Amino acid sequence: MTSAPPSVPSRASAYASLRRALLRPEWGLVLAVAAVVVLTGLLDDRHNYWYNPGDSAINVLRQTSMLGIFSLGAAIVIISGGIDLSSGSVIAFSGSICATLMVLMAPEEMKAARLLGLGTISTAIVGTLVVGLLIGSLHAWLITVVGLPPFVATLATLVGLRSLGRAIVENVTAATWGGRSTQIQIYDSRFRYLATSVWIPAVLFVVLAGLAWLLLSRTVIGRHLHALGGNEQAARLSGIQTDRLKWLAYCISAVLSSIAGILYIGDQSAAHPQTLGQGYELNAIAAAVVGGCSLRGGVGTIPGTVLGVLFLRTVIDGVAKVIKTGADVYEGLIVGSVVVVAVAFTQFRQAGGRGKRFLSGPLGIATAINLSLLAGVLAALLAPKTFLGEGMLALITGGVTLLVLIVLRWIEGRRTGNARTAPLPSDKLRSA
Amino acid sequence: MRTFSMRAKLIVSALLGLAALTGCGTSTNRTTNSGQASTGERRIIIMTNGNSPFWDACRVGLQEAEKNLGLNKAGFRAILEVNDGTPQGQIDKLRQFASQSDIVALGISPCDAANLAVAELMRDLKKRGVHVVTIDSDMDRETLRDTRFAFIGTDNLAGGRELGKCAKNLRPEGGEYVTFVGRTGAQNAIDRVEGVRQGAGDKFKALDNMADETDLTRARENVRNAIRNHPKLNTLVGIWSYNAPAIADVVKEMNNRKQFTIVTFDAEPLAIRQMGEGLIDAMVVQNPYQMGYQGVRLLKALVEKDQGIVKEMFPNLGKTDGDIYDTGIKVVVPDEGSALKPEMFDKKTEFLKLSDFQRWLKKYDLTGS
Repeated sequence: MTSAPPSVPSRASAYASLRRALLRPEWGLVLAVAAVVVLTGLLDDRHNYWYNPGDSAINVLRQTSMLGIFSLGAAIVIISGGIDLSSGSVIAFSGSICATLMVLMAPEEMKAARLLGLGTISTAIVGTLVVGLLIGSLHAWLITVVGLPPFVATLATLVGLRSLGRAIVENVTAATWGGRSTQIQIYDSRFRYLATSVWIPAVLFVVLAGLAWLLLSRTVIGRHLHALGGNEQAARLSGIQTDRLKWLAYCISAVLSSIAGILYIGDQSAAHPQTLGQGYELNAIAAAVVGGCSLRGGVGTIPGTVLGVLFLRTVIDGVAKVIKTGADVYEGLIVGSVVVVAVAFTQFRQAGGRGKRFLSGPLGIATAINLSLLAGVLAALLAPKTFLGEGMLALITGGVTLLVLIVLRWIEGRRTGNARTAPLPSDKLRSA
Repeated sequence: MRTFSMRAKLIVSALLGLAALTGCGTSTNRTTNSGQASTGERRIIIMTNGNSPFWDACRVGLQEAEKNLGLNKAGFRAILEVNDGTPQGQIDKLRQFASQSDIVALGISPCDAANLAVAELMRDLKKRGVHVVTIDSDMDRETLRDTRFAFIGTDNLAGGRELGKCAKNLRPEGGEYVTFVGRTGAQNAIDRVEGVRQGAGDKFKALDNMADETDLTRARENVRNAIRNHPKLNTLVGIWSYNAPAIADVVKEMNNRKQFTIVTFDAEPLAIRQMGEGLIDAMVVQNPYQMGYQGVRLLKALVEKDQGIVKEMFPNLGKTDGDIYDTGIKVVVPDEGSALKPEMFDKKTEFLKLSDFQRWLKKYDLTGS
């Protein structure tokens, strides 16, 4: 008896592993990022990506790293079946705490814009991370013990932490410097270098993403987090300590937001609890969702989240390059649209297979009108000036959109009708 | 293969759709700028600190300068970039400007006079050959003067003093006052508040300096809180443009107009109407139209190296405060019944009754200043 050569099975399994790697959904996001870059390069009449790629690349890298750090936390919470609306406020609060600690430890140096001692900076950073842990623990307690839904618990801190941060900053500046201030300026160039260097946030993001990936995909805890998100009751009945896992998830999210808070105050040279990080939580959730995390829980990957962040920041930079002045007016609209498109089409693909109708009934009619109006308004705002004028352009675009949606509605109706008139398998058996 | 290619196709299709909407790079945002720079055009940008009708007058000045100075023919486009009221908004925009090659000049009204991040980015733009000036509010003149070529705007300290004089002459017996402002860290705010203190004199006591971060709802809430918390309060001082209507609205709502002397900065359209209704005693009005006009004029001259215009605007350049172009201030009072007289103010200050001021606005096709 002879045995098969040992190299054949390993070649086949290597080929299978490579095929699995190449078929991962994240490649779609890589393609999307590349498409955005190419499109921006073409549509930007100054071709800044071509003639001056370095500045844009650095800008995107910086923004991706900063957003990415706390998006990892958002993703972990979402995968575990929860939601964290407080990231932006945790950033603001943590940044304020970091600055406040520096003021308390070195009031004269902070006021006179002198360099701080490394001990002061380190203590402030460590203290801020501890505060992050405390906030995460608070979230976990509110959710697992008090029994609040995660949405409510983190909504409370979204509102409360900014207010608390502001009170702390105003009172500490009044008590320490004799004059109440709504913000604390950061002058120490070494502290600021943590953020302004670009490479430090980038390396930090890569390291944290690597650790998060290891946790989620290579550890038992990671599998338990997925299980928790997939079906909490089943996970609990299987003996998984779901409350502890939630504590872990929310602590990770809050600590990562605290790290981002430290970087942001360095980047902006000021800790301003009222405005710092406003709305950032939505960008983090959007990045996680675009990257494949399901808000129902149990589904999501760290590579997907990383690419989701990169995709969002690339789109935002592309919008700024193409629309140029006043781009931030449209940034929210375009990011929101991209998120809806990216997630909804995935669900379309899943739902369409089950014959779901999206434009049926009175709500379908209202939706068709809604989307047509939106298309018309967008055409009037964004499209180039033509001989038609914005009003006519809006009407034409809206009208065409409405027509398309009516046709789609008709097609859906026919498909459903065909499905109803087609013989059921049981009918075929009876006739046989 | 099906999973990722389907998602990729759909995402790319959506992007192409969005790209089609943006009209192949010639989109126009009418609400914030006068047009879109097409290939070859260079942009001169004035960036605001926040969003308020004050900047509408600046936009009119900017557009007039664009037309009168032949900017389009010379290959320029002047654009007003509206910030969201936060330093981080300005930081993000400055970084974007650095990565766009067609921006040749920038006039900025910094949210915070001492913000190092903004200062560094302004210096970076200067190093890249972009001409930078400050408009309406300056960077800290002690430590960050090098971040810009010059300042165009109001002498805010002088303006604050005139406002303080308004309070002093309307209430010779003195009293207690609260100042209301967007951001206490903005240089124009710092200067005006100090100016009010100087102009009002020793008989007036400052109780508080309340910031609202350009949140109009909070601006009103601050006024309500100030009135509730300080029983002896008798003078309300608005420092930024939208604080005037906020104060007037609250006083009308609480029906205690007679209890307060109200003196404010700037003349938003609503504030002008409110003065007509007797809700505001005096306004110190800047000239944002000239800030926009002269800002564009100077920036174009810097780009074209037109030393004639630079010397005309800054005859004392190189000397102390020779880099400041004062766009002047007006004191506006109600047509009837005001105790204020021109001789109470500085000779350089223009004194106007409300109806004369409204005629001046009409001459420039403005609704506010």
